[in-house]
Order: sequence, then structure tokens, then C-alpha cells
Amino acid sequence: MASASAETASSSSQIATAAASPTTERRGIPAAQFVEDVQTFLSQLDLDVNSALAFLQERLQQYKLVEMKLLAQQRDLQAKIPDIEKCLDIVATLQAKKEEGEALTADFEVSEGIFSRARIEDKDSVCLWLGANVMLEYSCDEATVLLQKNLENAKASLEVLIADLQFLRDQVTITQVTVARVYNWDVHQRRIRQAAAAAANES
Amino acid sequence: MQHEQAEKSDTVVTWEDQQNINKFSKLNNRFHELEDEIKFAKETNDNLEDAGNELILTDEDIVRFQIGEVFAHVPREEVEIRIEEMKEVNSKTLEKLEKEKETVLAQMNELKKILYGKFRDSINLEED
Repeated sequence: MASASAETASSSSQIATAAASPTTERRGIPAAQFVEDVQTFLSQLDLDVNSALAFLQERLQQYKLVEMKLLAQQRDLQAKIPDIEKCLDIVATLQAKKEEGEALTADFEVSEGIFSRARIEDKDSVCLWLGANVMLEYSCDEATVLLQKNLENAKASLEVLIADLQFLRDQVTITQVTVARVYNWDVHQRRIRQAAAAAANES
Repeated sequence: MQHEQAEKSDTVVTWEDQQNINKFSKLNNRFHELEDEIKFAKETNDNLEDAGNELILTDEDIVRFQIGEVFAHVPREEVEIRIEEMKEVNSKTLEKLEKEKETVLAQMNELKKILYGKFRDSINLEED
């Protein structure tokens, strides 16, 4: 079914129609058109080989830019998730200590390489850094709920991001294959022309 | 980062071929990601082992155990239990990653057979 719809794409006069190609774009990333036949593709675009290759190369550059951006976002999220998990761990430890009724002694970093000791007795509430220079006090239960929600959101965002990256890589692969095929078609055409010219000279 | 090149001189490339190539590319990326993740999991495993060994050697009753950014004073038995739990979780993760890596490799080999079968020398699916 997919190849049939791709054929209708190349026979129509538009570069990418929503009904014909599998997906036209995903969250702002344009889909690469799959080329069934190089000749049809070139006449459809109404470009000669070099312009077509230039167009495809430009597309590849655009894809690269988007890929950099998405990879950076992915790295940020992948760093954020263990952070949130550590916060959840601390809140859980505080709650456990509260049950036992003991104070929690901890060594914390005051400055690089300098630590100080703290004894935490009141464990009913924690302060959470929300970003933008804002810190709010929550009860341990509320804090756990909020941190859990943040963790789930971060994981969901990461999944969407990974799917975006996969879509992007597919489009890059399709475009690279198209570049190779257009180039080879051109070489093939030149050979045919040379052979025809040689045959014409001989006759 | 393209390690596969496709030069198709006279063979026709169908949408199915393209999808196979795309799938191979995605699997290859996932394979490299898995290798990194497995390396990290193995390092964590070693660190936990070392921590466990240090714990046995020390004769202090209160151990400074890192939770988040602070080092909490935790009794030794509790630290032992925690480290054991972390080792369990980590080895399960490592096992899962190794299994996924095997599946990915198997799928990649399948696709290699199909693609080399159709394109022979016109395609290169090896690492550079």
C-alpha cells in the first residue's frame, strides 16, 4: 500500500501532498519525498541534475540543524531525569527518618571541596527549587507528588523527542539515498549519451 | 554519521527497500546508544562492587552515604542493604540492555541479508 501511494505522489504535480506521501511533516520537520523514478522526480521539480542535487544538499543541511537542536534537548532531559530521581530519594529518606523519630545528620557541600555538617530535625516540609529564582515550601507528601509528576512529564517529553529524532533520521536517510540515486542516474545518462555519440561518430 | 552508502546504478529502489534502509539506520543508531548505556551500567556495577568492598573493610558504624547532593549519616547495615538493592537494580538493567543489544544485532543481520541480496555491491552496510 505504501509503494502505491508513493507512485501517486510522483505522478501528481505537487512535491508533497498530504494524502499521497506517508507523512508530510512532523512538528515542523518537512518529510523527504520518496523518489520512485529519478526521471519523473527531476521533471516534477523541473530542475536539472545539479540544481536538484543542490536542493537535496540544502535539505540535508536543514535536517542537520534540527538534529543538533533536538539532540541538545535530549541531553538536557536525560540529565534532568536522574536529578529528579535523586530529589525523590532524599524526600523519601526524610520521610523514613521522620517515622523513626530520629534526626538526620548529613554532610553537605558549602563550597567546592568544603563540607559542613547539618542535623535535620524538622522533617515535615521541604523546599523545592522551581526555577526562575523561585523556591516553594511543600509538605513531604506534596513534594513527592510534585516530583513524581515532573518525573513523568520529563520521561514523556523524552519519548516524544526520541520519536522526533527517529523521524528526522528517516528523512535524512531517504534524502541521502535520493542524492546517490540522482547522481548515479546522471552518470548513467552521460554514459548512454557518450555511447550514442560514439556510435553516431562511427556510422 | 552515515556509515552506510547506497549507490544504486541500475537497480530500482522501492519504497520497501527504502524502509528497510531506514530501519537499518535506526537499528544501528540504537546499537551504538545501547553500547554506551551498557558501558555506563558496567561502570556503575564496578563502583557499587568497590563501595561494597570498602564497606566490609571499614570499621565505622556510621557511614556517609551519598543521597542526591548531600552525604547522609547512615548506619552501616542500612548502607549494606541499600548497596545490595542498587546492585540488584543495576544488574537487572544491564541484563535488559544486553538482551536488547542481541535483538538489535539479530535484526540488523536479517536486514543486511535482505539488502545485500537485492543490492549486492551497490550498498555498504558496514562500520567505517
